[in-house]
Amino acid sequence: MRIFTQLAYVMLVASAVLWSGAALAQEKTVSGTVTSDAEGALPGVNVLVKGTSSGTVTDLDGNYRLTLPEGNSTLVFSSIGYANQEVEVGDQTTIDIVMVEDVQALSEVVVIGYGTQEARDATGAVASVKAEDFNGGVIASPEQLIQGKAAGVQITQSSGEPGAGINIRIRGTSSVRSGNNPLFVVDGVPLAGDDVSGGGADTGFGTSSARNPLNFINPSDIASIDVLKDASATAIYGSRGANGVVIITTKTGKAGESKLNYSANVGVSNITKKYDLLNADEFVDAYAQVNGLSAGDAALQNLDQGADTDWQDQIFRTAISQNHNLSYSGGNDNGQYRLSLGYTDQEGIVERSSLRRLTARFNGSSSFINDRLKVTTQVTISDIRDSFAPISDNAGATGDLLGMALKLNPTYPVRNPDGTPFQRSVTEASPVAFLELGQDNANTVRALGNITFDFAITDDLSFKTILGGDRSASTRKAAYSGDLLVQGIEGQGRAAFDDVSAINTLMENYFTYNRDLSSNIRMEAVLGYSYQRFQRETNFVQAAGFRTTDIDVMLNNLAAVDLTTGNGAIAGNSTFRVDELQSFFGRVNFDISDKYLLTATLRADGSTRFGENNRYGIFPAFAGAWRLSDEAFVPDGLTDLKLRAGYGVTGNQEIPSNLFTDRQRYQDESLDVSPTGVNINNGALSNVAFPNPDLQWESTTQINVGVDWGILNNRLRGSVDYYRKNTNDLLFQVFSAQPAPQEFFWENLDADVINEGVEVTLNANIADSEAFAWDVSANAAYNDNRVENFEGLINTGDIDGQGLSGAFAQRIADGQPLFAYFLRPFGGFDDAGQSIYPQGDVQQFVGRAPLPRWNLGLTNNFYAGNFDLSVFFAGQLGQYVYNNTQNAFFTAGALAGGNNVTQDVVGNGESRGNAPEVSTRFLEDASFVRLQNFTLGYNFNTDGIEFLSSLRLYLTGQNLFVITNYSGQDPEVNINKAIDDIPSFGIDYTAFPQARTFLLGLNVSF
Amino acid sequence: MSYNKLSKSLSFLLVLGLVFSACTDLEVDEVESVVTESETGEFSGDAGALLQTAYNQLGALTNQANTYSLLVHTSDEMIPPTRGTDWGDNGVWRLLHSHSWDPTHQYVLDSWNELNSRVFTTNQVLASTSPAPNPQQTAEAKFLRAFYMWHVMDLYGQVPFREVDEGVDVDPRVLTRAEAFDFIVKDLEEALPDLPVAGPSATNDQASQAAANALLSRLYLNRGVYTATVNEQGALAPTFDQADMAKVIEHADAVIADGYTLEENYYNNFSINAQSELILVNAEGAGNAENRYFMTLHYDHNPSGWNGFATLADFYAKFEDGDVRKGIAASPDGSDFSGIGRGFLVGQQFDDNGDPITNSRNNLPLAYEANSALIGADTDDGYRAIKYHPEDKGRYVQLRYGDVHLMKAEALLRNGQTGEALTMVNELRVVRGASPLASLDEASMLDERGRELYWEGIRRVDQIRFGTFTDTWAEKTVTDPFRIVYPIPQQAIDSNPNLVQNPGY
Repeated sequence: MRIFTQLAYVMLVASAVLWSGAALAQEKTVSGTVTSDAEGALPGVNVLVKGTSSGTVTDLDGNYRLTLPEGNSTLVFSSIGYANQEVEVGDQTTIDIVMVEDVQALSEVVVIGYGTQEARDATGAVASVKAEDFNGGVIASPEQLIQGKAAGVQITQSSGEPGAGINIRIRGTSSVRSGNNPLFVVDGVPLAGDDVSGGGADTGFGTSSARNPLNFINPSDIASIDVLKDASATAIYGSRGANGVVIITTKTGKAGESKLNYSANVGVSNITKKYDLLNADEFVDAYAQVNGLSAGDAALQNLDQGADTDWQDQIFRTAISQNHNLSYSGGNDNGQYRLSLGYTDQEGIVERSSLRRLTARFNGSSSFINDRLKVTTQVTISDIRDSFAPISDNAGATGDLLGMALKLNPTYPVRNPDGTPFQRSVTEASPVAFLELGQDNANTVRALGNITFDFAITDDLSFKTILGGDRSASTRKAAYSGDLLVQGIEGQGRAAFDDVSAINTLMENYFTYNRDLSSNIRMEAVLGYSYQRFQRETNFVQAAGFRTTDIDVMLNNLAAVDLTTGNGAIAGNSTFRVDELQSFFGRVNFDISDKYLLTATLRADGSTRFGENNRYGIFPAFAGAWRLSDEAFVPDGLTDLKLRAGYGVTGNQEIPSNLFTDRQRYQDESLDVSPTGVNINNGALSNVAFPNPDLQWESTTQINVGVDWGILNNRLRGSVDYYRKNTNDLLFQVFSAQPAPQEFFWENLDADVINEGVEVTLNANIADSEAFAWDVSANAAYNDNRVENFEGLINTGDIDGQGLSGAFAQRIADGQPLFAYFLRPFGGFDDAGQSIYPQGDVQQFVGRAPLPRWNLGLTNNFYAGNFDLSVFFAGQLGQYVYNNTQNAFFTAGALAGGNNVTQDVVGNGESRGNAPEVSTRFLEDASFVRLQNFTLGYNFNTDGIEFLSSLRLYLTGQNLFVITNYSGQDPEVNINKAIDDIPSFGIDYTAFPQARTFLLGLNVSF
Repeated sequence: MSYNKLSKSLSFLLVLGLVFSACTDLEVDEVESVVTESETGEFSGDAGALLQTAYNQLGALTNQANTYSLLVHTSDEMIPPTRGTDWGDNGVWRLLHSHSWDPTHQYVLDSWNELNSRVFTTNQVLASTSPAPNPQQTAEAKFLRAFYMWHVMDLYGQVPFREVDEGVDVDPRVLTRAEAFDFIVKDLEEALPDLPVAGPSATNDQASQAAANALLSRLYLNRGVYTATVNEQGALAPTFDQADMAKVIEHADAVIADGYTLEENYYNNFSINAQSELILVNAEGAGNAENRYFMTLHYDHNPSGWNGFATLADFYAKFEDGDVRKGIAASPDGSDFSGIGRGFLVGQQFDDNGDPITNSRNNLPLAYEANSALIGADTDDGYRAIKYHPEDKGRYVQLRYGDVHLMKAEALLRNGQTGEALTMVNELRVVRGASPLASLDEASMLDERGRELYWEGIRRVDQIRFGTFTDTWAEKTVTDPFRIVYPIPQQAIDSNPNLVQNPGY
């Protein structure tokens, strides 16, 4: 990152020099060498004549030569990561400088929209995490790199599945639908928010989770991730900025430094916690007890099939992951390049689940026309192969793979004498059969690239054009054999095929104008235009009633379906959507006397997502900062003190395409599959949307007040931010007043979702010597979420399982936090073993919510000699999780029906006939603290080895322990339990379990 | 310097050109859906395609939940037991059977949305312009509108109405029950002349004159119910106007005139072998009758069912031995599904080979018991009913002659022609294998309808007309008279201020 920015400075300064015109006054020449103790000669150091724009930069050997006007001048030497030095020239003609590292990188650069900024000049709330601070271990996708590292950024993986979907909530949740993830911008190209992998089609046991849209980026190619949090920072992204913006910048080559790097690691993962189920003997005893049977009863003989099987052991495994990255980079002042190849093979801890990824990336830049034109290219190509275990979000009575493993009778053998899986009946499906008699694979190819032309028109004015493209194609094929004894598959066989193809193209043009208006006022301005087009096509085919039970044939020879009427059928649908976004944007920064910083931003976004009356939205923002530490009245002990305040309006347009034109489509066909036959439910021509010309973006108004401080020469520094976000004109599916063509229509609801909170970060450099160094960085964020001025009632949080059809656990209502739990307060069991609901057998608000109050992160880094040690704790406090797994599987009624349960169900006082309705019985405090990452590294001394520039070995432990009262597999869980597309939060239902991973890694550079 | 200035100006112009050439009007062509808005903003649908949709939407009525559940679980013919943890479903079924539903009940809401949106589809057929409906299509759409709207009027007592060109911001006007009655009858009478004449067929999936006549019979028979004001005390006992009963008979006779007669084999009505009774059935691909056996069959039958609904012991007691409607034992011969009987399944159950089935839930022989509790029931409690059989299930029946036959008999009875009514009832009983009745009164008329039409979705309507809906029966003690109509769903009231909640809720 450092070098990247230096290069930008080099370009800037170089062009400044070239275009400053000839100076005619008397001149003299000064030259010298700039070095540092650590690195020797320092290239790329800016050498500027104070108070002017003339200057130069040091060459590869740290040498510079500068022609000065006669008279007394002062030279300013600056370089990122080093303290500035000023030297009066006087009579000197040779000035050698030893730069001193600025340990506390307050002058680090943060990437903001359409530019970069020094952190000390930032007016907005921006968190920047550099590669050296990233999380280590088995990392499938980029956001995991910064999980817990940035205050106010809550990252929740929906499960432990390799490549599983993510939820990133920056400063709370503000929308009442999907589309709460931030905007991702990769090297200047904003990504479409959609999942580009083939969706989890319903092959008879529920739909599976969405995939992570960032899977295609190799984490080891990333140089920094910058999170824009407040409106003054995100307003430059207008209608997509309300949930924050995550800017990913990839690594580039460095001038004058040819480097070959190879890194590899191997990881071993195991499940952290299995459910404490009954073994065979315990199960038979418990079954007899709950059903009042005496030993020897005929029913028990029928129940007990004699084996003792731990079904969890049958589906979980020790998973091996490996990861290899090879890159080489280099360049000179005119051009740099970096090429990398990556290979990841991550097994999931559930059999059959894995993610394999091949990536290739090229980043290059070159300068032309006397360095006035800089052309930069970034291209990534990735090929991802996913293999899925049959785990779904919303399995009903049959259960998915995990549900089957939890509930299946432990006295059943795994296999019949002939080696085939033992399957007793369709209501007692075997997880082993489910694994062996099915396959579900996806292949996604994605290419993301851009080319940027940066042209310096004058010293002060430059023009940049970015042409970007993001193309992906994904195919998912799943098949389950008719030999599988599962309702809806049994006797017929079933398959599903999904294709998703997406093309996202970008053209952006903008001017950047930097100028010193006077000796103490500097202005930076950006003015531009952006056009982005999103195209997405899907094809979906499902089939049932195969003439074969051979999975490979089912997958690859669709004509195996018996198309005789009633025996088999093929059904499907396809879609094609295009959306466009056209934007005009501008930003002005003023820096007055290096003390007062002002920013004003404006973006106008026109989107095809909205009705013709409201195509364009205007998103303004203002921010200011005051560097108090530069004021005379502030004591010198305060190394740094800056006050920041910002206000802005941003938008959200993440709704389906064209919801405002009266239009009709043939609905998806579906299949009724049973042993008696396969029938197609014809998709009828139906309305997709009402006329709704007023539909517009959702807008979020945010104020932010913050202070950055540092003492003891910034060895102790931190920041505190207060924010209040108010989201209104909520894009919302409301009930249509019937009769109507659709049950719901989209409206801008006149209600408020308020997120209010405080973020604190603290960095301490406790020890800093050659022998021992110790850094601590901590962050904590508190968020309070509530809905106001809302007149409706919306139910969400679908609860699934046997006897739980139509059940729900959450309701969105006025005065409550989003996704507040709406449950029966549970008061134990009465003498007859029936549930007692002291406040009535009706659902009500119980004062609990799934959104965490506190997000915490604590990192300790130790350096001793060649060793380094990093220990990272993450935590969330104050959130509750609804344990749908327990609700569906671990009750006396489940046991009485012949299903296995956890130990605590035995003798819990519940009657076999009790219906376990949705109640606080299954609501649990899910606060936790986790030892997320522990890395011990050793850097070999390579001084004596000429060809080797560095060699590092490290051992990482991920998710080593969790401190929590939550009884489920892991408290950090969020299964999609949306109802009518209204999302839920914090519900656990047979989530793919979390793993504990140990990883050994190697990093070598030549 | 002038060279520099020139190059700067050129670059600047180039850049400006790039900027402005890029501008888009943000208009995207719809290629995956049909825009049904004309240039002037009016609706412009395809009448033929939308009529198919309206027929297709009959499929929703095959679901065991929603509208069907409102029609059957609240009557004395069916109970939805919570069996241990199974079918607890957050109490949604129990609330129906125990008559304790409220305006937030899920199926009260879902049925409202389901039925009213279907009314809207038929409106779209009628308003289509590209192409516009021909006279027969208009007639069919009016029939379907009447059919769906009859359900709304019958269940909810009020009927909202939205013109096709009224957008989201328009609150639909609301017809009272009496206004809706007139609206529906007018639709049917206007439709009649343009509907095709169709005799009985197992695949009668298009509206015909017989269908319109059958529905008109039903409407006139219940007119006394639909025109009585409902308040918290319910409604006054319905009166049965002589002229209305004459209309019932007139329209039933019109059905008969089209060739409809009683089916020799009762269960053929629900099979692919149906011959003489079926007036209107669902189209192929519009729902599936298999839900009717899955919803009741135990898990351990072939096919494996969902082990849900059962009949009540008192209802089963209304049948005499010999009445084929009471049930025909299975004759297992090893072929698929031959272990399942027809009519009510009672006692020990056998598989396709004639071996006793073991209940995998309690590991005991699977034998259905007569009684079933509403909560805490065992997996084998309650007798099950099979009309559609997995071996030969036919299309899902919406209207059939057996109902029309009994409607005519009832109209005769109510008009004092008891003798003729008894003759008609006995005519049916003999075909069904039951002994002829010696006399006929209202109670025996209702019982006969129950025996003929159980689980077909008309019992609630009959019980309200005969005044027994507010009686008590097994696991139902609530006698609130206002429950003869359902509440308007809370979400509907919230979305349309023209709706006023029904009395009592």
